[in-house]
Amino acid sequence: MLLATYDLSAFVSENWRELLDGLLNTLKVSAIAIAGALVIGLVLGAARAHRIPVVSQLTAVYVEIVRNTPILVQIFMIFFALPQFGITFNQFTVAWLSVMIWGGAFNSENFRAGFGAVSYRYREAAYALGFTPLRTFLNVTLPIGGRIALPSSINTYISVVKNTSLMYVIGYEELTTTAINISNLTLETLEALTVLGVVYLTIVWSLSAAIRLLETRLALPEAR
Amino acid sequence: MKRIILATVGVAVVAVAGATMGAAQPAATTAPARLEATAPLPKLPAEIASRKRFIVGVKCDTPPFGYIDVRGKHAGVDVEIARWFARYAFGREQRLTFVCAPTAVREPLLTNGRVDLVISTFTYTADRDTRIDFSRAYYKATGRLLVKNNSPIQSLGDIRGKRVATTSGSVYDRWMKRCFTNTDVLVVDSVTNAVLAFNQGRADAVMFDDTSLALIAATDPSAKLTNDLFLEGPYGIGIRQGNVQLKRWVDSRLELMRKKDIFQKIIVNNIAPRFVPAFSKNILRPNNTFGYRAATLPSVDTVCP
Amino acid sequence: MPDWAGPVARYILEEGLPGTLRVSAIAVVGSALIGIVFGTLLTIRFWPLRALLRGYVEIFRGLPILVTVFIVYFGLPAITPQLRFGPLDAAAIALVVWGSAQVAEATRGAVQSIPHEQHEAASALGFGWVGRHRAVILPQALRRLLPPFVSLLVNIVQNSTLAQAIGGIELLQAAKSQSERLTFYPPAGIGEIHAFEIFAGVMVLFFLISFPLTRLAALLERRLI
Repeated sequence: MLLATYDLSAFVSENWRELLDGLLNTLKVSAIAIAGALVIGLVLGAARAHRIPVVSQLTAVYVEIVRNTPILVQIFMIFFALPQFGITFNQFTVAWLSVMIWGGAFNSENFRAGFGAVSYRYREAAYALGFTPLRTFLNVTLPIGGRIALPSSINTYISVVKNTSLMYVIGYEELTTTAINISNLTLETLEALTVLGVVYLTIVWSLSAAIRLLETRLALPEAR
Repeated sequence: MKRIILATVGVAVVAVAGATMGAAQPAATTAPARLEATAPLPKLPAEIASRKRFIVGVKCDTPPFGYIDVRGKHAGVDVEIARWFARYAFGREQRLTFVCAPTAVREPLLTNGRVDLVISTFTYTADRDTRIDFSRAYYKATGRLLVKNNSPIQSLGDIRGKRVATTSGSVYDRWMKRCFTNTDVLVVDSVTNAVLAFNQGRADAVMFDDTSLALIAATDPSAKLTNDLFLEGPYGIGIRQGNVQLKRWVDSRLELMRKKDIFQKIIVNNIAPRFVPAFSKNILRPNNTFGYRAATLPSVDTVCP
Repeated sequence: MPDWAGPVARYILEEGLPGTLRVSAIAVVGSALIGIVFGTLLTIRFWPLRALLRGYVEIFRGLPILVTVFIVYFGLPAITPQLRFGPLDAAAIALVVWGSAQVAEATRGAVQSIPHEQHEAASALGFGWVGRHRAVILPQALRRLLPPFVSLLVNIVQNSTLAQAIGGIELLQAAKSQSERLTFYPPAGIGEIHAFEIFAGVMVLFFLISFPLTRLAALLERRLI
């Protein structure tokens, strides 16, 4: 039916400005969320790996809540429920904040596993050499554990980028929202979906390829 | 046997349609459809008649026109109009399936054939008319601006540089993006959320139909409507483009309801008594008829002040 | 319990829960069946089929699930009107597509982790390819699939909320519309915002479903390694 009128180049040439804006918004939100998730993951992952009291328990609660509830509910909580307590964010802030909180939880598990996998031998050696616990962490555990955690961490970041599409439900004009809104007006549904598919797959596949590259490059000599 | 009956009905319908086709008027008419006292009322299209249900898109979050009440049932002026249609068509008001039709998806629901009708505070514009068909006008609405009492926005011109909330895909959304390019338009999915954003400080004003905003201004002492009246656009019932038979049926029943003053009954059922007079001026009544702007004029949302 | 909570809870459970259960049930069963078949087929030597299935897996694991939902809900009807699905069914189908891609990948891994000796022994005993897989390989592989499968179940239940984006009435949409209704002025609503309580309730509901299953998956993982 509409297959007969499929014209991708016309769709792109008419709407490229809005689509580009949408893509930039997606990338903006993703970048901030990934940076935040990285920091959260490192700090909380380290806290849990070293079993720092109170912080560990609170992190565990945070992780379990985020992992066991739908991300859409979390987004709605931040967007609709926080204002009840006077905290009102605009759509852009809700976008990066919600994905950052979600990604941070998963990332802290990634880094906890990564730091935990650092063989105790290395830490023993560091202590023997007179390193303080903090120095040990920064110079020994972090570099090694971080590299171990890198692949799963990048997987989380890929999911963060994919989850920015969910901002459709709060009306934030990222790529998916923009494309679907255009397609609702102009009925060029298939063209819009093609654009979405190509863009997201390009991003996701490139990052996945990067993981595979890094996995071979960063493999620890004795990692078995 | 069933097929023979269906075929006979189909032939009769085609005959009636052909007979009335001669006296038909174009879609964007400015006068009500003329019904001779002796002509039979138009029949339902066969598809709906055989299904014995209407599938109607209504608002689920815009009181008093379409919302979900405390018992979880659909309620509102538009919803009741749909119930009257079901009574006229099938004798029972339960022969209805409601689909939530927020502003942005009203057209896709029709063009994709997911609903038969959209009765969802659907403002007629010539632009929308190119993609779908509208019934005759059934409610007169005008655009208003809701602001806080001491807001720096005191008239339409003041919205430049401010944040105004409205629903996604509405005439206001397109009008502001076209004519007020330095206004920050905050699009949300429903007028409820627009007002929520306004109350929470995410927006400085709300632009929407006078009906919903008037109720809010009346019950919220800290907010008021500016004096501007703009984008006067009656509501119509959305119908899939080309479904002439259904449009004929809908128009005839709307005329029937106008003559019998049923719209007044609906208003009284759905709106608090002190607002009834204001709403009564905007509905079809035996002595109150209105239509759309002439089809030759450009679409309201493309004309900048 | 406050006055408003009763009707709200009733609406959410009566109108929302069936939607969630329906989408989840269809999605879980569909992904399992299709995923296991596809995953096993990914290990055969006929490379065109393998390439096709590999493409399917990579595409639907790579796309955001919401985009897949839109493909099913908006895209399919644009190809032919026969493929027009309601919002809940469209979401279920999209989840089947995504879930089957996940299960296929996991099944491939599980099947390929079965030592080659099993294949050889089965062939020596006279089993053909199908028989071998049905009687020997798959039973072992399926045991290894149990932990990721339980995780998938959790993911699907949580992702059923995506039906909300296309207007499907499930738990989250029911909660949202009730929370909005409460903000209306009387008599439709009560003019108050209780979004936090309502969404927190939904969160607790999902948590109570997901948490035991996540623990179960972790337990199975430890037991079966």
